[in-house]
Amino acid sequence: MIVVDGLVKTFGKRGEIRAVDGATFSADDAAITGLLGPNGAGKTTLLRMLATLIPPDAGFASIDGLDIVRERDGVRGRIGVLSDARGLYARLTARENVRYYGRLHGLGGTALEARIDALLGQLGLAALADRRTQGFSQGEKMKVAIARALVHDPATIMLDEPTSGLDVMSIRGLREQLFALRAAGKCILLSTHVMQEVALLCDRIVILGHGRVQAAGTGAELLTRTGEASLEDAFVRLLGSAEGLAA
Amino acid sequence: MSASEKVRIGAIGRIAIIVGKELTDIVRDRRTMLITLLMAMAAGPIFLALILNMAANQAERARELRLPVDGAGNAPALIAFLERQQVAIVTAPPDYEARIRRGDLDVVLAIDADFEQSVAAGKPATVRLVYDRSRDRARAAIDSAEALLRAYNRQWGTQRLLLRGIAPQVASPLDVQGVDLATPQQSGALILFLVAYYGLFASLMGSIAVALDATAGERERGSLEPLLATPLSTLQLAVGKWLAIGAFDLLVVLLTLAGFYLTLNFAPLPAIGVPFLFGSAELVRFVAILLPLVMLLPAVLLYVGLRGRTLKEAQSNVSALVFVVSIVPVVQLFLQKKEPAWLLWVPVSSQYTLLTRALRGDVIAMADWLQSAALPLLLTAAALTAAARLLRREDVFAGR
Repeated sequence: MIVVDGLVKTFGKRGEIRAVDGATFSADDAAITGLLGPNGAGKTTLLRMLATLIPPDAGFASIDGLDIVRERDGVRGRIGVLSDARGLYARLTARENVRYYGRLHGLGGTALEARIDALLGQLGLAALADRRTQGFSQGEKMKVAIARALVHDPATIMLDEPTSGLDVMSIRGLREQLFALRAAGKCILLSTHVMQEVALLCDRIVILGHGRVQAAGTGAELLTRTGEASLEDAFVRLLGSAEGLAA
Repeated sequence: MSASEKVRIGAIGRIAIIVGKELTDIVRDRRTMLITLLMAMAAGPIFLALILNMAANQAERARELRLPVDGAGNAPALIAFLERQQVAIVTAPPDYEARIRRGDLDVVLAIDADFEQSVAAGKPATVRLVYDRSRDRARAAIDSAEALLRAYNRQWGTQRLLLRGIAPQVASPLDVQGVDLATPQQSGALILFLVAYYGLFASLMGSIAVALDATAGERERGSLEPLLATPLSTLQLAVGKWLAIGAFDLLVVLLTLAGFYLTLNFAPLPAIGVPFLFGSAELVRFVAILLPLVMLLPAVLLYVGLRGRTLKEAQSNVSALVFVVSIVPVVQLFLQKKEPAWLLWVPVSSQYTLLTRALRGDVIAMADWLQSAALPLLLTAAALTAAARLLRREDVFAGR
């Protein structure tokens, strides 16, 4: 469960750029929450604050009741992050990449190895497990990055533009993964600027524009509120324009 | 998997995990690793062989003295003595004084026509050694000609005293022994300089490639952001990387010094007097002297590397550091003054000074070592803290 209340992050010498400007929303367990907004709406900054990578300037957020600032280490142990940057260590094998993160989370021994095998198996990477990631395709690299983010079985999973740079088959595979994680009761928050992605994937949609939440709800709720017939039209109406979005 | 399977690991445990991963990464980069290690092992011996050969040639030239003599027939006994000492006697050209002035000739021995008469009359016989001492090149020939004449003089005098039943020691109350306190400007010092310089340089070169790969390389690959979302502090990450780079650096330094040690002690070197010792005691001293740099330079490289968005950018930043480290000993070599005391506080410079001292066979005082290590240790801590702070910056960890 993620709770975000009035989160603010500013940049620039006098804080003149308000990347996130009082965002408030929540994301439930066993649900996929989509953070939709055009490029520059503050999605990545918001996710980085929730991942405890940068401190907020004002406001409050918690993950499973743990404050992202004061209980940072506790939060880090409970979240799996597929960040904007998702580079792997090219000279390490897929297994070693995942193992490194597992060990940093305090896992080890046969339990860790079994977990890695299970994850790589689910992602269809079993055959590549002990190959160096040097020559992996984009899709294969993404799968290793997902396995790495999930190795400690986090209750909360955050993904920043997870489908960018992926081919259709990989996107379909990712979608299956996310549905499986939702079925396992995880709280999943993903950001995207692709309207169709939220429509297909998300149980709840949080629309972010200019660092603020413009609207939030299920797809049906957003349709009734705007009186539009399609979700795409609803998004455009709520954001005021379609600029920076992709169909 | 339940949370109960996780174990709580402390800072040391996490740093150990990072060191393990970084070392794996270094070892897997076969090409960089092999090039660095081979260069470290081979460069010392190759340079030594070249320099020693050069020195041996010079020594050879000094030993094979060709001495032009004017009036060789006037003192056959002296000429015979010189020939026994492997001196090639040639007849001096008549215009030898002009030739010496021009630099065509190094030294000429002129024997007076009344040499035999003076000897017979019991008076000192005169020989003149003609030279131009302002010519550096001639100095070796002048010195050896002088030494030979002195030796002949002594031998002859000793024989006379013995004939009269007097112990030769009576005539030489003064026992003059030469103690050569050669400073780096003088002969053989080039080797001295080279060994110290190379040891110093190895501590920098050993870590550049791996340090930049672990910093700018990781920024370029975009693997920092997800890493920092794990329960890991940026200081732990900086220290872990530093330890791994430092360990590799130490290995390079050890291999470089081992190369010198093996060459100087076991290789069939040209038979010249190497003006210093490089035995196991010096080897240990060298490692001890270089240790502060083996800590400092990887830390500085870590910081500089993290400032580079890409490997290329970091490489150009590092060239400034390479310049400083490589120029300091050269400046010290050419500054022919005695080093001021404060120089022992300055990193790189203090290490170079102590290295040359160790080579001259001096024992390094603990106080001197501590003085040379003080600033490097402080700067290491500062560089690691600064690197940890850099890693918290969004533009650093999120670089893609």
